[in-house]
Amino acid sequence: MIQHIENPVVEVHDLMVSYGQNPVLWNVDLSLPAGSLVGILGPNGAGKSTLIKAIMGLVEANSGYSKLFDQELNQVRNKVSYVPQRESVDWDFPASALDIVMMGTYHHLGLLKRPGKKEKELAMDCLDKVNMKNFAGRQISELSGGQQQRVFIARALAQQAELYFMDEPFAGVDMSTEKALIELFREMTAEGKTVIVVHHDIYSAGKYFDWLIMLNMHLVASGPTAEVLTEELLTKTYGGKLSTLADLGEIIKKSGFNPLKD
Amino acid sequence: MEDFLYFFSFQDPNVLMVVIGISLLSISAAMVGTFTFLDKKALVGDAISHAVLPGVCLAFMFSGNKNPYWIVSGAFFTGALSTYVISWVARYTKLKEDTVIASVLSIFFGVGIVLMTQLQQTGNASLSGLDHFIFGNAISIVREDLWVYGALATCIIVVLLVFYKEFKVMVFNRSFAESIGLPVKRLDFVFNSLMVLAVVTGIQAIGVVLMAALLITPAAAAKFWTDRLSRLLFLAVLFSLISGISGAYISFSLPHMPTGPWVVVVLSIIAFLSFFFSTKKGILTRWVSRRKYQSKIHRDHILKALYQAEEHDKKGLPQKDIVDNFPGKVVKTHRTLRQLKKKGYITNDRELVALTSTGNSEAKRIVRLHRLWELYMTEYMNIAPDHVHESAEKFEHIITPELERQLDKSLNFPKEDPHQSIIPRDQNKP
Amino acid sequence: MSFDQNAFIIILTGSMIAISCGLLGAFLMLRKMAMTGDAISHAVLPGIVIAFLISGSRHGLTMVIGAGLVGLIATACIEYLTQKVKLQSDASIGITFTSLFAIGIILITFLANQIDLDQDCVLYGEIAYVPIDLWITKAGTIMGPRTTYLAVINLVLAIAFVSLFYKELKLSTFDPEFAATIGLSTAGVNYGLMGMVSYTTVSSFEAVGAILVVALLVVPPATAFLWTKNLKKLLTVTAILGVLISFLGYYLAYLLNSSIAGAMASVAGVFFFVSVTLNRHQIPRIKSKMRRLREEMA
Ligand SMILES: Nc1ncnc2c1ncn2[C@@H]1O[C@H](COP(=O)(O)OP(=O)(O)O)[C@@H](O)[C@H]1O
Ligand SMILES: [Mg+2]
Repeated sequence: MIQHIENPVVEVHDLMVSYGQNPVLWNVDLSLPAGSLVGILGPNGAGKSTLIKAIMGLVEANSGYSKLFDQELNQVRNKVSYVPQRESVDWDFPASALDIVMMGTYHHLGLLKRPGKKEKELAMDCLDKVNMKNFAGRQISELSGGQQQRVFIARALAQQAELYFMDEPFAGVDMSTEKALIELFREMTAEGKTVIVVHHDIYSAGKYFDWLIMLNMHLVASGPTAEVLTEELLTKTYGGKLSTLADLGEIIKKSGFNPLKD
Repeated sequence: MEDFLYFFSFQDPNVLMVVIGISLLSISAAMVGTFTFLDKKALVGDAISHAVLPGVCLAFMFSGNKNPYWIVSGAFFTGALSTYVISWVARYTKLKEDTVIASVLSIFFGVGIVLMTQLQQTGNASLSGLDHFIFGNAISIVREDLWVYGALATCIIVVLLVFYKEFKVMVFNRSFAESIGLPVKRLDFVFNSLMVLAVVTGIQAIGVVLMAALLITPAAAAKFWTDRLSRLLFLAVLFSLISGISGAYISFSLPHMPTGPWVVVVLSIIAFLSFFFSTKKGILTRWVSRRKYQSKIHRDHILKALYQAEEHDKKGLPQKDIVDNFPGKVVKTHRTLRQLKKKGYITNDRELVALTSTGNSEAKRIVRLHRLWELYMTEYMNIAPDHVHESAEKFEHIITPELERQLDKSLNFPKEDPHQSIIPRDQNKP
Repeated sequence: MSFDQNAFIIILTGSMIAISCGLLGAFLMLRKMAMTGDAISHAVLPGIVIAFLISGSRHGLTMVIGAGLVGLIATACIEYLTQKVKLQSDASIGITFTSLFAIGIILITFLANQIDLDQDCVLYGEIAYVPIDLWITKAGTIMGPRTTYLAVINLVLAIAFVSLFYKELKLSTFDPEFAATIGLSTAGVNYGLMGMVSYTTVSSFEAVGAILVVALLVVPPATAFLWTKNLKKLLTVTAILGVLISFLGYYLAYLLNSSIAGAMASVAGVFFFVSVTLNRHQIPRIKSKMRRLREEMA
């Protein structure tokens, strides 16, 4: 069940991604409506992070393309924000929570300019929105996992973007914070922003999201939550990989080079 | 040439001694290095080799001469101390391992330099051999040295062979080793000691600065030829022996040349040749198979074009049309056409190219794979029929006969693709 | 023990070199590229020798450009081996620097008569001779010690690099993926940093040798890292340590009658190990604090 729409905010066309000789995303083809809260579901290793990274230009696609706001990524970088998985960085880095959130203001500054008072106020506001104002001066390694996650979200807020990709923002976050964050995302989508969130809990997914993407190496479903949250599609998503894809992957691994790359 | 014969006929007992010494040390270093490489500890080897310098200098200070027993003990002591310090600092602070290794390496080396320069200031004539420990000089090995270094190297080789199985499990799968009850901590300790010993064995011939290469490079080069541990060890030892003996020979014929750098240069040449020309994983091999694959794609495309012409009830295509169909690939297309004709896939009469019956069934196979994959994508991957063509253009060249059967089965031997084109099959086969 | 003009010049030069190295080394450390720094410092040797052969002097632009290029080539070679040849990264580093360093030593030995460079200089430099190696203009005016001028230029450039690109260095070091998504050229920042490290290594080579540069690149930032919680303080403490190391190293060498560069590395080692000993419970303490926080939230 893959529903395509007119004037999508995100459009992915026949996207294929591999790491070296290991294909991990097969022919993903989807479009997402603006102003919605979108969830990406799928088992571990399904390629959820890879999909986001490919859209954000962090990994190279073997084929296919993606468009944001009907434009190339480079034209709209200022309107897009990305929250990586928490484990992707080293939290022993010598910086305070505020330092990290300030990084969200950098792209408005350009080369050689330093962040000033205005940026600092914005960063404090964003920390306040995720209820972390009291921890602004704390060194990031001294924060709990959930607090680090909220610092990342605050950094994204500081980017003042239109479109947000968040990779597992609820990992290590307690239930009440999770609810508060969803509340915050709801406010953002009400303002017309689009928030796309990798999520791993199918039960809460039904309540949280307007639109769901289900992924397991290939796209299983993409559509309004009410229509795609079915037993059948969930089984397809979580019930193991397609054996043909796995076998094809093996052939490519043995061939000594990646035939999918041109 | 005279030099060469003199050296390699081993008529000079001194030469023989040097060769035996360097062979033993090359073997032991390559063997230890193979395990170090697999355990991804190559840079610890670098740290150890720099860290033996203060030990060597202390030995000089205490013994007052170049006594191999003292030197080996001193070097072993500071070398072992450095591995201990590295794991201690890495465990108890938030510093990352590479920072710790670089710090310990340079601090130990700095201390070594202090001691060495201090020794040099004292002007003791018997200390002249100290330089040799920095960049190595195989020719300076005398009988007494050979006994000590040779015995150590033999010792390392024997211990490695005795614990071969245990070390193998440990480097390939540490958690498995723990689960089957191997004393991993103790094995680690034994292995670290062997690593330090291997470095110590090499310091006189290769020198402290470059000894790391003898641990890292042979295994890295061998890894490009095989994945089996036994063969890996064999090749690493072979590469190491070749470079060790060549290095000794160069030092012999050019006495002022330090041995270590030459051994390393020969080793590096072997390594880079392996990286590029290995028949298994070499860059060139990969490049060649890629080129072959691209030719196959081109061939498939020509066959497909001819098949589609047949589908439209044409006998064949004029050669000119085919060539024009692939702009920018004129030469390649002509070559491919010649090959196809030689293989009996096509006939080429007076500029009209047509499929033979073998060619026809090969072309059918490609078209079949294309259409099967398109159908698979719409059926199993929910992709819209108008988005499947591009991907099928790639996979038609990749799908093997086995996978074809699998696809056929999971699609229940379909007759038509998503665009209602017939999926062509050979009449005589089901 | 005395403090005369020579001592002052040596300590000043040493301090400036240590600060330049430390500022850049801090970023190497935070990027987990300390061993790449080690590799670069070994690998520039053949560049130095060749540039020396071409220009006939160990100063000047040829040297900096020639050897700096070799440093960048080494970085690119490590990357090529890891990414294209698919060799594991520790082995790529090890093979690259040992082979380049070996070539450098062979060149030095071959050209021993033609160039005024010897193995000792490679090992630990000649900072003690800084005060007598004077820069004399064509007109015959004595401008002062040459290496000190080089160190001043190096320091100015290092400080300028770090402060102009502070924001970019910080962001791409902490979170390179995020940096790339806002359009920052992370490869550009990386090669910029490696270029600066190569240049600094070459510029300091004569004073402290190719190998002990590593001690100045890595040890002061590693020590400062144990004491500080933000990047600015880390850089400040690193710089202060650089001065202390140079000062105490000079007098240690004086006392022991040994190489000054070696003594600087040894003093750095003392600071490092004392800091490690005092901070060795940092990790368990953080862990227990985390546990407490988690319990509070649950
Ligand atoms: N940098 C990488 N190099 C190689 N393989 C990777 C890399 N990142 C992810 N993979 C592989 O790609 C697959 C998909 O990973 P990922 O997108 O992270 O999955 P998810 O986020 O859904 O858990 C996994 O099998 C993983 O092992
Ligand atoms: Mg993920």
